[in-house]
Amino acid sequence: MSAVVEHHDHDHGPKKGLTRWLFTTNHKDIGTLYLWFSFLMFLTGGAMAMGIRAELFEPGLQLLDPIKYNQLVTMHGLIMIFGGVMPAFVGLANWLIPMQIGAPDMALPRMNNLSFWLLPSAFTILLSTAFMEGGMPGFGWTFYAPLSTNYPNIAYFVFAIHIMGISSIMGSINVIVTIMNMRAPGITLMKMPLFVWSWLITAYLLIAVMPVLAGAVTMLLMDAYFGTSFFDAAGGGDPVLFQHIFWFFGHPEVYIMILPAFGITSHIISTFSRKPLFGHASMVYAMVSIAVLSFVVWAHHMFTVGMPLVAELFFMWATMLIAIPTGVKVFNWVATIFKGSITYETPMLFAIAFVVLFTIGGFSGLMLAITPADFQYHDTYFVVAHFHYVLVPGAVFSIMAAVYYWLPKWTGNMYDETMGKLHFWLSFIGVNVTFFPQHFVGLAGMPRRYADYALQFAEWNAISSIGAFLFGASQLLFLYIVVKSVFAGKKATAQVWDGARGLEWTVASPAPYHTFEIPPKITKSTKV
Amino acid sequence: MKRAFLGLLGAAIFMFFFSFMLVPLYNVFCEVTGLNGKIYGPSDFFKSQKEQFNRDVNVRFLSQVNESAPVTFYPSSESMTVETDKVSRTTYVAKNNTNKNLILTIIPSVSPGLAAEQVKKIQCFCFEEQALGPYEEQEWPIRFYVDSELSKNVNNIYLSYTLFENNRTETIAMQHGN
Repeated sequence: MSAVVEHHDHDHGPKKGLTRWLFTTNHKDIGTLYLWFSFLMFLTGGAMAMGIRAELFEPGLQLLDPIKYNQLVTMHGLIMIFGGVMPAFVGLANWLIPMQIGAPDMALPRMNNLSFWLLPSAFTILLSTAFMEGGMPGFGWTFYAPLSTNYPNIAYFVFAIHIMGISSIMGSINVIVTIMNMRAPGITLMKMPLFVWSWLITAYLLIAVMPVLAGAVTMLLMDAYFGTSFFDAAGGGDPVLFQHIFWFFGHPEVYIMILPAFGITSHIISTFSRKPLFGHASMVYAMVSIAVLSFVVWAHHMFTVGMPLVAELFFMWATMLIAIPTGVKVFNWVATIFKGSITYETPMLFAIAFVVLFTIGGFSGLMLAITPADFQYHDTYFVVAHFHYVLVPGAVFSIMAAVYYWLPKWTGNMYDETMGKLHFWLSFIGVNVTFFPQHFVGLAGMPRRYADYALQFAEWNAISSIGAFLFGASQLLFLYIVVKSVFAGKKATAQVWDGARGLEWTVASPAPYHTFEIPPKITKSTKV
Repeated sequence: MKRAFLGLLGAAIFMFFFSFMLVPLYNVFCEVTGLNGKIYGPSDFFKSQKEQFNRDVNVRFLSQVNESAPVTFYPSSESMTVETDKVSRTTYVAKNNTNKNLILTIIPSVSPGLAAEQVKKIQCFCFEEQALGPYEEQEWPIRFYVDSELSKNVNNIYLSYTLFENNRTETIAMQHGN
């Protein structure tokens, strides 16, 4: 505390007890809440994934009936996307954006508190359907109508999505207003750290598409309960329209889940290569182009619905175009590593794994973008392998990298490096053993979203399940490492990593409750 | 700061209503381009009479019953060869398998979708709701022609009809003495 308190005559420390967390408007407290909430959801969704993989361990139905299986698949998707990955990134944004731009807090601190506390209520509503007659939603996280409109308990699902959407939109408004108005003098837009940049772009995407998701679920609700026929052909509606609206939200959504990861990776690779990032400006332009392109590629999720050739060609080419800015980013990371003096601490291991495995996921994405090939791959495990490669060793690994990288700054203690490396290798092996075989069974024709499968897929599925159990179990190790670093460990210096650049490394470790109440002086030599 | 906040909030609210605007936009887009095999309403036959080279096109008729509808529904002939710009007539047969009155909606679709614009229907049971009494069997006519502007690449056209039981209007129709 004393490091930054200069002319205060009273202490601005946190309140004591539960009310500190309930009423807090401090960006660090709210960041912590978001991160713990997302970890809780990560374990919940992960437990569901374990159930799915246990059922798929061998052919036939052993543990679950098909309805329960579908419910687990649906909830796994919803929880991991809206409860795991997105809140984790918002938590990181809360912790890091004010510290990286030299601001004392987020611009709208009370709204910040509300955006967080909406999330537990949304997930309570969603998960409460597990204890109701009719059970949890079981129509897949994409909730295609009219399947979803004929499901029980759909109103709970709709309202949960509404609340999550409101929370995300408020969080995004907060991020944009903070970045636009509260940068320390001297931090121009192009000087801004890449994590801040990635979040600025992500926040705009969220504001553009979360309301569309809210509109889609509202139409669903009206179809189910108020006698409208947006998506019901019998009343003159169109089920294909639902897919268009959903994926108009859905495709930008997948970039919402990866852009902050790009920001994180840029910081970590630069730090542990002890070199400034290669091509800072091109990284910004690449992210902006990816964000813009994300609005014109949605129909590549629906090549098989019967679109005219012209549309299929357009969406194929637009999708392939995204490989160019993404390629720029990957090559920039490689060029940053090139001739650096590299050390392999846990965050760096996760970041390198991110670059390699995300690129594999990107390549299978390009294969899926080829329209005629997609007719073969559509709704097979190849798609499952593709999006898990970009989301698990992509988004999730980047979150883990970020946690290891900034944990000493948050807790003031170094985490256990040996344990961290063990966690990395177990996760790395687990993730590849789980998802790589799914490419093979997918190409061989195994369809998604079934509780059972043909005998020919048995071996690869058994291997995949073993990998999943390994990956799942190793996350308990992650929990242990994080908790241990909160309470004990080697004291961290303010700088923590000798190659790290950025304003967050100029404040003490652990970061004082209030930082940058007086804006820092940015000079030419300041490494932002 | 307040302006930025209000601007962004406005953008979010706009996008919410934009998602509803996508519904008419989508329908207009499909209607203008003929995508998605959509055809709307009867067409004006005499307006589009032109001197054109006529050729033969094979038209096939398909029928589907949505799972919950207790109706037998099939075309009386599965395919026919028609000359472009000449009006043809065929029928579909529908039989109610219950002892109740049924109100039915039939949704048409044309494949290939880009030929939808050239399939002109003068009369169709899909233009309005149909009613069937208990165990009643009806023959429903379609009169249509294929415009000679049809792309040269298209030699086969599929007319598909999906029959839905329309629960929503049943009570209203009953009040009108079916």
